[in-house]
Amino acid sequence: MKNNLITGTCRSIVLILFGLTLASCASTPPPCYGPQSKNLDTAIHQVQDSLIGGCAANFDLYYDDLLRIAEGDPKAENKRIFSEFLVWSTDEGILSQRQAKDYYNRYFNVKFVSLAGDYNNCTHTCPRRDRIMRNMERELTDKERGLMKVSLDSTGYYRADELYQEVELVLEATCTACAAGR
Amino acid sequence: MNALPILRRPGNTIATRLVRALACLVLAISLPATVLAQSNAPTIRLFPTTVVEDLKQTSSVAREMETGLQEVIGRLDQQQQLYNESKCDGAESDPGCQRLAKQLGATYLDMLGIMEERLPDMEHTVNNTRLSLEKRLRSELGNKMTSWTLQETLLGSNPDGIAQPAPTMRGRSGMRLSERFRQYYQLVASSSSHNDQSLAVLASDIYLDMDETSELIARTREEIARATLIEQLNQSFGTITPEMMEVVGGVKSILFGDEADYVQVAGPPPGSIEQEYRSPLEN
Repeated sequence: MKNNLITGTCRSIVLILFGLTLASCASTPPPCYGPQSKNLDTAIHQVQDSLIGGCAANFDLYYDDLLRIAEGDPKAENKRIFSEFLVWSTDEGILSQRQAKDYYNRYFNVKFVSLAGDYNNCTHTCPRRDRIMRNMERELTDKERGLMKVSLDSTGYYRADELYQEVELVLEATCTACAAGR
Repeated sequence: MNALPILRRPGNTIATRLVRALACLVLAISLPATVLAQSNAPTIRLFPTTVVEDLKQTSSVAREMETGLQEVIGRLDQQQQLYNESKCDGAESDPGCQRLAKQLGATYLDMLGIMEERLPDMEHTVNNTRLSLEKRLRSELGNKMTSWTLQETLLGSNPDGIAQPAPTMRGRSGMRLSERFRQYYQLVASSSSHNDQSLAVLASDIYLDMDETSELIARTREEIARATLIEQLNQSFGTITPEMMEVVGGVKSILFGDEADYVQVAGPPPGSIEQEYRSPLEN
């Protein structure tokens, strides 16, 4: 009788320990490694493995890593490589279509994502002009990285830089005119 | 003795900015009005006939002022040269030098007189132009466009290619006015400049200059009255004040520019002419 009691207790303890071990295993996140290779294609494959392996939350970090790797081997073709990687990310459900567009256009397109807006300039853009210009300035830095340092597209970058200046001038005039009309 | 102190720093004076604004006006008028009014199916109308007419009128007033000032400044130059060659510095009590100083002072008063005479007309026409452009900018760019459509307008039909020559005029001091007009004319008269993106920048540029100019003209008129009175007093003593020469120097640099300051920085290296890759993700 006494032995049965001891055996039962031991069994319960073993079961509890086993359960705890299983629980701890379930809550441990998978190891998320960034790209190790300096070759962009290989690095992208490594990132894709990590993203599929449950590390989608690290997308920002991986994207930055890939840009850094691409800076080490800049070429016009890099635009296409990044575009295909982003399209793959949407196909896998890691990014929405809109997110993928933003990631691409922020770095590789002349147009400014920061200027997205659905309402007229007098009522919507002008009250936020300072913030919009600061965002554009930051985006211009990203375009310098994507267009110039990664893709060797200096023409595109200079056009973006000029567009930034034109927007600054035209918004200043437009917002002054809007304010005068109130 | 602060004769027209606002004119003293050639690079950043009221007069500098005023003349810069006048340059914008003349540029705008250099455009054939019909070209502006009849550009190929424009989606935005920033320069209708009324605005062009306002600009034209302001431009002619500006031209008259420029011409008048150039002549009187030429005279001032000659008189100053004669004064220096006669070694009048330090010999102010000499009757000959006193006479030269009075002549210089009289020419200086002529210069102030020309500005005083022309400025009321300028003020009126500049205000008309400013108000016309203000209305157009508010309507066409402010109320009819979002920030995104504005960006697309500025980029035009060639978003990835080499930028169109932009008619950016603000801050282009230090160049002879006539040369500036010539360059502006070439800029806007070229066919590539007749599209919406250039007109939006041009209209914004002119409007902001007009806005500043309206304020500057009012302040300048106040200062001229004071400077004239002071110089009339100086005439009694036949002296040439350093302030007077500074003012003349400032106005000269505005009208004739400073060639040394106009040094072009090398442009960026030409971009790849390969066919650009276009991502399906591009906006």
